Formats: sequence, structure tokens, C-alpha cells
Amino acid sequence: MTVALHVPRYADAPASLGKLANARPRPGLETAFDVARDDLLAVLTALRDEHDYQQLMEIAGVDYPDRAERFEVVYCLLSLTRNHRVRVHVATDEATPVPSVTSLWPVAGWLEREVFDMYGVGFSGNPDLRRILTDYGFEGHPQRKDFPLTGHVELRYSEAEKRVVYEPVQLPQDFRTFDFLMPWEGPDYVLPGDEKAAAPPTPPPPTPQTTDKPSDTGAGKPADAQVTKDARKPRAAKAKSAVTKPSPRKKP
Amino acid sequence: MTDVRTKPRRVEVSVGAGGRGPDLAEPLGHPRDPGDEAIGNYTINYGPQHPAAHGVLRLIMELDGEIVERVDPHIGLLHRGTEKLIEYKTYAQALPYFDRLDYCSPMCMEHTFVLAIEKLMGLEIPLRAQYIRVLMAELTRISNHLLQIGSHIMDNGAMTPNLWLFEVREDTLQFYERASGARMHANYFRAGGVRYDLPDKLLADMGDWLDHRLQLFEDAISLVTDNRIFKQRNVDIAKVSKEDAIAWGFSGPMIRAAGVPWDIRKSQPYEVYDRMEFDIPVGTNSDCYDRYMVRCEEVRQSARIMRQCLEQMPKGPVATADRKVFPPSRAEMKTSMEALIHHFKLYTEGYHVPAGEVYMATESPKGEFGVYLVADGTNRPYRCKIRPTAFSHLQAMDFMMKGHMLADTTAVLSAIDVVFGECDR
Repeated sequence: MTVALHVPRYADAPASLGKLANARPRPGLETAFDVARDDLLAVLTALRDEHDYQQLMEIAGVDYPDRAERFEVVYCLLSLTRNHRVRVHVATDEATPVPSVTSLWPVAGWLEREVFDMYGVGFSGNPDLRRILTDYGFEGHPQRKDFPLTGHVELRYSEAEKRVVYEPVQLPQDFRTFDFLMPWEGPDYVLPGDEKAAAPPTPPPPTPQTTDKPSDTGAGKPADAQVTKDARKPRAAKAKSAVTKPSPRKKP
Repeated sequence: MTDVRTKPRRVEVSVGAGGRGPDLAEPLGHPRDPGDEAIGNYTINYGPQHPAAHGVLRLIMELDGEIVERVDPHIGLLHRGTEKLIEYKTYAQALPYFDRLDYCSPMCMEHTFVLAIEKLMGLEIPLRAQYIRVLMAELTRISNHLLQIGSHIMDNGAMTPNLWLFEVREDTLQFYERASGARMHANYFRAGGVRYDLPDKLLADMGDWLDHRLQLFEDAISLVTDNRIFKQRNVDIAKVSKEDAIAWGFSGPMIRAAGVPWDIRKSQPYEVYDRMEFDIPVGTNSDCYDRYMVRCEEVRQSARIMRQCLEQMPKGPVATADRKVFPPSRAEMKTSMEALIHHFKLYTEGYHVPAGEVYMATESPKGEFGVYLVADGTNRPYRCKIRPTAFSHLQAMDFMMKGHMLADTTAVLSAIDVVFGECDR
């Protein structure tokens, strides 16, 4: 893959980063590390104090609902002296808090508040973990992948009550989402009209039973040869042989 | 969790004898000593609809008399869920959302996003497109600073310069319109280049404007730069040490005013910034006045960059020839089936960005504007985290305001250069 040359060009990764303990390098276009939750503070302290990454520019949350630890918290660091950027990724779930880095960078206060607000990730040690971007009294964490784009409540000014009221979202038209992916490039949904085509294949018929001896088949003795022969006669002949004159009845 | 609405507030305003009026039962011979009255701190609400709040900002301020003890900015009143919306849009559809972030410098917002896409795709863009992008980004910087300087001056009590600066700013918006068709929400940069070529007449007019019209900017600021009242209201207000500026994640004019010569255009040059000659203004006193002066000098330096762009700009295509990313021209579509198919695919499915993650940061007029983009290989971003500049600056408001007078709030706030479209996203 070619590397675009007109994007911001900064220095190469300092060689000292190779000695960073408890951090697994993450493949990708930029220098990044995967770090366990418990090692986060130690790694970030080392990056700040020993590797000269003075500034914490951003803390981003990402939601991967399929993973056991669904959230990823990404710390974007900048070194003003070495002119380099590095990212540190840490994974967590809804219940487990991530250690707060407000003791290292005071700017982390709001950045962590935002991740908490948007994803519900806790930060142990943040002294002021309130919601920041959403409304007062908001419920839910809007950036989670299972949070609907339309939200749950909408507000309007009620002329009758002379105040703003919150009501459940009512859409005049159903929410539609278009992804426009090519159907043969493997989207995992059924296209309208393709319900049958995409139905699971019918199970194969059971394997036929086999028998070793004619007696195991359950069939009886061969039929009477004459009867078989008669049955295969043309209709007229069949009638002639089969229909006999009724026997004279004795009159009472 | 403490909520400002539920937390008990101590509001004690002592008037006369403890707010109770004269105690008539008291013997007349023993009047209360006015100096003994206890005046507690009180909390006031600033905004969210305040002309000097630069948008919808609500500040809960704890005051001791007229001295600010504590500031708790409440942001998010303009939160529109841009990042969530972008996850539901193709890359091309997501681009106009960036114009609406910092609506005072739309093209610089687009710039970061298209660079992030191009980095993930490994896409090269033609030289002329790089020059056009730098030219327009610097025009945007001038436009942003004209608005910021004007409103900063007006927040400090002077009316005239703002009106003059709007006059010049209007010209930049007209250049926007001539380039992209829209005065503000340009949607002009694309992954792979820019949407339209700039006509020669427009380039000539820009040069003319730089040479003759931008003088109005110098005239306007000359009214206040040495003005006694303006200096009294800005010098030594909200001083931030170098260490604090770094620890609080400052960037752009804020960190430069604090004496750190850091500019992404210079240290991590993108596009053709490394071919440009320009200087980085740095403050010495790190107060509101330095921030103002840094921005004034940046306007001159941006004009310098624009002139160099106009001189050096080569002829050629303005977008990549990769038809899987950038649509063919209208005329080509009329004759070529291939072009028609490409157009159709690009405007329905869009282009696919290979899976990966980048943190892309550029020097927007307000500071480091970043986009952390996670692509999963489809035509839509999996996650697009936007790093606003104002977020960290506004957070520092608490310690910047400590010990200052209430009336300094407007000066500090406007010197931050906060725009809520970007801060709240």
C-alpha cells in the first residue's frame, strides 16, 4: 500500500519506544500500543516522563459490541520536542472502570467526562465524572452502537403547559438506513424479495435403508402369477376374464 | 453525582444589617458596624443566551464580590450528534458535517477529514490541488481571525473595528462563494483533491485583494492595538504558564501566546506548507493581549502564504484521476459509459476506505483540530472522533478566570476563540 506524501509528516518513532514495558505494538499506519487496564497509568507515565510525550491531545472511545470487552479507549499523545504522535489503546466493558489519567494531565478531566457520557465507560479517580455534552437528565449513552440514531426522547415547547416537555420519539416516517453496499460483496442481510433465495437450504433426505435378505424386506410371498398376468391384460380382455356370469340364485 | 441543579447553593447577599434591614428593637446607641457583615460567595448563571458567550455557553460562576472564584462551564447545548450521524453516512456524505463544526473556518475542518481519508487510502493528490487547499485554508484562517479579532475587540468595548473587519471578512466569504458556490458551508475539499478548479480571474482577484483590500484590517486593528482601555482590559488577564499550557492540552494561538513555538504547519508540514516561507508568532506574556497579537500577526503570515501560493501554483488537474474515488467530469459522463458507471457508483455506494485507524491533526485557525478515524473497509466510517480545539481551552477557563473580575470573563472567553459548533459537535 502506498503512503500518501501530502499528509502531515512528522518524525519517525523514537527508538526508545521499543523498550516500553507492558505495551504491545499495534499494527497499522501509525505508532500505537495495546495496553492492559492495570498497566495504563504506568505506561502513560513512562510515555510522558521518559519518552517526552508531553501533551495528551485526545481521548476517544470506540464501541465494538462483538467483543467481550466491548469498549476501547484511545489516548492520543503528542511530543512537542520529538515531534511525534503515539496512540495508546485500552479495552474495557460497561462494568469495569479505567484508571483516570487526570493526575498526569489535568486536561483529561473533560475528555474522560465525554467518553463517560458517550459510552458509559467509568474512570476511577476522576473527581468530577459528570455528563458533559448531553442534556441535563439524559438517559443512555448515545455513541454506543446499540443506541438508535433517532434517540429515545424528543422535546418541544408545549403551548398548553408553557414549558418544554419531553416525549417519546415519534417518527412520521420509519427510520430508514441505506448502506448501498454491493449485494455480492457480502452484506449479511436479506434483500427485499430475496427472502426465499436466502432461506436456509432444506435438509438432505435421510439415507435409504438397505436390507441384506429378501426376508428382511417385510414383503410377503410372490403374488399369484395368473393374477399378475390378468392385471396387465388390456381392458377388454380383462373384462372378459374377470367378469363372470352371476351364479343363478335360488329363488326363495 | 452532583448536579448543579440539585446541589444546594449558598446565595447570601448581605444588604444592610444582614439583609434584614435595620433592627428597630436594637438600642439606638449601639448601631451595627458595617464592616462586621459577613458577605458569602454567591453563584451566578452566565448564559446560555448571552451576546458575549460566543454561542450557547452556560457558565456557573462562583463570585466573591466581583472576583471570580470558580467557573463551571456547561457545554453541549449545541450538541447535534455529528459523530453519530457520520457513522450512518458514506464518507462523501459525512464531509458537509465538517463545515458545520467550526462554521467560522469551514474549509479547515474539511481539510482534516479528507487528509484522514487520504492517509487511510494511501491516495496521492495532484500538486495544484495541494496548492489550492493551502490557499483556501489560509484564506479561511484570515476569515476566522478577522471574525475573532473583531468580536474580541467588541467584547472589550470597541464597536468600530468589528464593523470594519466584517467588511473585509465579507470579501473572504465571496471568494468562498466563487470557489465553491457557497458562502460558508463550502463542501469544497474532497478526498482526492478539490471539487472545482479555481478560475484565473478568481486567483487574480485574490492577489488584488491581498495587496489592496487587506489594508483595512491593519487600519481596524490600529484603532485598538495601542489603545489604553483595550490594553487595560487585556494585558495580564488570564496568564497561563508554559507548563500549564502544555498540561492542559493547549494548541494553536493559545499555546503560541504562552511562548511555545508550536505550529503543525511548520513542525508536521502537510501538503505544500514545507514550500512556504512564513513565521510563527510567539507571545511573551501569555495573556489575552498576546493571544490577540499572535492572531493579528497570523493574519499577516497567512496573507504571505497566500501570495506565495498564488505565485507558485502550477497548472494541472485539481483531483486524482482515480475514478474509484473521485467522480468523472460531467462532460465525460455524456460520452463514456465507464464514466457514467463510476459516477453512479460513487454517488450511491461511495468509495470504500481500507480498514485501519488514523489520528489526523491539522492546524486549524483555532488550534489543533483532530479526527480519529476508524475505518472497517466499508463505505462508511466505523467511528469518527472529532477533537475540537475549544474543548481543552474551555476546560482551562476555571483556572484562567480564578481571581479575575467578572467583567474579564468576556475578554478571556473571546481570547480563547471558542465556537460551539465545534466544541459541542
